[in-house]
Order: sequence, then C-alpha cells, then structure tokens
Amino acid sequence: MEDKTWGCSSSEDSDDEVYLQNASDEEELHFSSSSMPKLQFRNVKSKSCWIEEMGMGEVIEKNGKTWVTTGIVRSGKIYSSIEETLYLMELGALHLLDKGGRNISLTEMYEKVSNRKSGCCWELFEVYRHLKSLGYIVGRHGVAWSLKSIKSSHKPVDLEVTEESKLVHMGSKSEFSINKLFGELQINDLRPDFDVYLPNSRFRKSFPGDPSFLLYLSRNLWNNE
Amino acid sequence: MAPRWKGKDAKAKKDAEAEALKEPMSKIISQLQSSLVQSDTCGFLSDNSVHLAVGAEQIDLFDKACFGRPVRTVEKDKLWFQLSFEEAFYLSYSLKCLNINESDTGPQNDEELWHYMKSQKETFPCLYKAYSHLRMKNWVVRSGAQYGVDFIVYRHHPARVHSEYGVLVLSDGDDNDLDGRLRVWSDVHCATRLLGSVAKSLLVLHVNKNGNYNESPLCLANYSVEERTITRWSPEQCREKDVVNTH
Repeated sequence: MEDKTWGCSSSEDSDDEVYLQNASDEEELHFSSSSMPKLQFRNVKSKSCWIEEMGMGEVIEKNGKTWVTTGIVRSGKIYSSIEETLYLMELGALHLLDKGGRNISLTEMYEKVSNRKSGCCWELFEVYRHLKSLGYIVGRHGVAWSLKSIKSSHKPVDLEVTEESKLVHMGSKSEFSINKLFGELQINDLRPDFDVYLPNSRFRKSFPGDPSFLLYLSRNLWNNE
Repeated sequence: MAPRWKGKDAKAKKDAEAEALKEPMSKIISQLQSSLVQSDTCGFLSDNSVHLAVGAEQIDLFDKACFGRPVRTVEKDKLWFQLSFEEAFYLSYSLKCLNINESDTGPQNDEELWHYMKSQKETFPCLYKAYSHLRMKNWVVRSGAQYGVDFIVYRHHPARVHSEYGVLVLSDGDDNDLDGRLRVWSDVHCATRLLGSVAKSLLVLHVNKNGNYNESPLCLANYSVEERTITRWSPEQCREKDVVNTH
C-alpha cells in the first residue's frame, strides 16, 4: 500500500521546490529608490485648520473628491481625525495651519501621532495609510460619518460628548440591533478601532451602510497609559 | 544549504556573488556609520518604531545596509525612514552613530531608551541580543513576520541573495512570549516545514541571561547566545546512491 504521508515523499523538501512566492515576498523586503511604493500625489490642495483641543482638523477650503470618503460632518463642517489629516498631508493634498495661521509641518504631525494624543498611535496610522492607499474607506469605529445617518434611522441614539470638545457630538452607529451587537463585539478586551468599507465610488456619509470589516489592532498600546 | 545568489542565469548569479565579495556588508555598514556620525542624525521615538529624516546620499546607504523602511511622502528634499526598535538601538547603542531623543520628556540616554523600549515590548532585551549577535557577524537581519519567525537573515543584500535562515529566539526563564514557541513537536514540524518550503533552515538562538535582570543595556554583555539549526533528516536521501529501493 502506498503511504502518501509527507514523511515518505522526501523529495518535497528538497531545494527544488521553491515557490515563486518566495521571490516576490523577498522583493518586498528590500527596496531601492526606484522600487519604492508609488503613491498618487495630489495636485489639488485643500486647506484645514488644526484644532488642538479636539485633536481634529477643520476643513476651511475643500477641494477635490477626497472629502467624499474622508472626515466627519458636523454642523455643516468637515472635521478630519489625525490619521486622515496626516495621510492627506503626506500626499500633498492638504495644507494644514494652526489657529494663528502658521503652517504645520509633516514633522510636527509625526510627533503628534507619536505622542499618542488625538486618539491615534503610529501603528494605527500605518494601518490607516495602507488601507487608504489601496482604496478602502476607513473611519473610526463608533464615530458616525454624519449625523444624518443617525437621524434617518428613527431609532433612539446616544449622543456622547467627548472630553476633548464640547463642539462636536460623536454619535454612535447603533441603527440596527445586530449592528449594535457587532459594534460592541470585544475580542480579549479589545474594541474595534476602525470600520473598513470596500472601495466605493458611490459612498455617502449620510448613508454609509454597514462596514465590510471591523479592524482590531492586536496591540492596543495606547490604552495602557 | 549553500547560499543561493539571485540572477536570471548562472552567470548573473556568479556576478552577484562576486559583487558581494567585493563589497562586504561590514564595509557598507561602516560607511553608513560614518555618514550618520558626520551628519549628526537624530531620530524620534514613537511607540513601536523610530523615525528619522535622511538626506539623499544616506538613502542609498540605508538601502545597501538594509536598515529600516522608507516612508514615502510628497516631500522631495528629505525622506523619512522608519526603524524597528532593534535596528534603532543597534545604530544608537552598538554603533554609536545615531541619537534618539525628542523633547525633554523623552529618553535622554541609553539607559532610559532601553527602559522605554523594554516597556513597550517585553521581549525587546532577548530579541535585541539576538539581533545584535547576528548583525555583528555581518548577517543582514530583517523581520521574519512573513514566515512566522522572528527574523530572517541574509548573507548579503536581499537583492543579491536569498535568505538562508529563519530565526526563532528562545530564552530561559521569564519571557513568556518567547518561551511559548517550539513547545511541542508539532511546532517544530510546523516551523521546519514552512521554512523548508521557502528553502530556508530553522535557526534557533537560545539567549541565556545568566541570571541578569534586564535593568540596563550593560547586562547585554553578560548574555550568552547558543545557535542551533534544526533541519529534517530524511534517511532515504542519506544512503549511497546505488542502493536499490525495496518498497
């Protein structure tokens, strides 16, 4: 009787069987200036003002289509989180000023992310950036894209006022009970960090629908302070 | 396993090997070291990595020495690099060519940096010992996350040669995260099988703390490292060639 266990077919372990995957994986691990990932730098610039107390940027001049899938709408204005703001700055799509009208540099923003104020940490930013550059639509879990999405559901809703700001109300996405259960799903004390939607040119903040994925960062260091 | 150089044919592979011999890793790294010292480069810490802004001439050196990953932004005059804790600490503490300090509230010296990194990553002391052990022997050490190991090591630049070993770092005592590996035979089979299918061997580095606590980076000098490779021995392949199979 032929024994087809891997123990007997030793030829499988020889040098000859090298998957092509090996070559392409290793290419990713090294780089030269020519083979760096190509980001789509933007020509159209928007302008925002960074509001330190909120940890968010308020859009002053809105240009380009990027705001369809970025930022939350409150009282007719768009506010972007630190990861959204930094991502757009890296692409050259956003000019960020402080309240005094001074330019805020990329370096300062990197330091803000590293300091873990504004609710983000470096790993989360990298995740955000990676998914966004692939075309996904990413928003913070539990933060409504627009208050219209809550009003349209005719269900009672909790409006939480965050500590950082009394200006912006963060609504919770509890339109349907399953959604609510899903949203409160905890894995080993972790709460979801991001809601991720598949790329969608018809995305509407007033009716985003359910996210395709919930993203949990497995090392939630910024809760440990 | 002999080193597998990269190239589309035998001649290209020989060329890759010759180039590597002409410009050994040790030379490239000392070039990087002097360049960083000259420019007095300074990095800043975040919770899992160190970032630095480098000029154009250093980008090439970082690439050749295989430290860090580039962070691509729209800024053309400077490029941001992201280093892992092990890479950054090696440049800062062992090679003494990088300063890492941010504000006045950040770590001010090696001891404080060590404590910070240790507090973010419990396994940092042992992983760092393994990283520096291999780097000092001129292996190129990169993250092994893609292969389910701690590090993978290359004899020279990854563009020229395939990596030969996947490294798992084990330790005695209190490092629960590290000790959890290779506990049972199926773990060993799993690791060797996976690595074997990408033509690498399993290299286990056992870091012995010799009773030292990780209070300061000075304790690194008292750690010892034992290296062991684990490969599957197949009896069929070890016999003389002209033995008749009697299955």
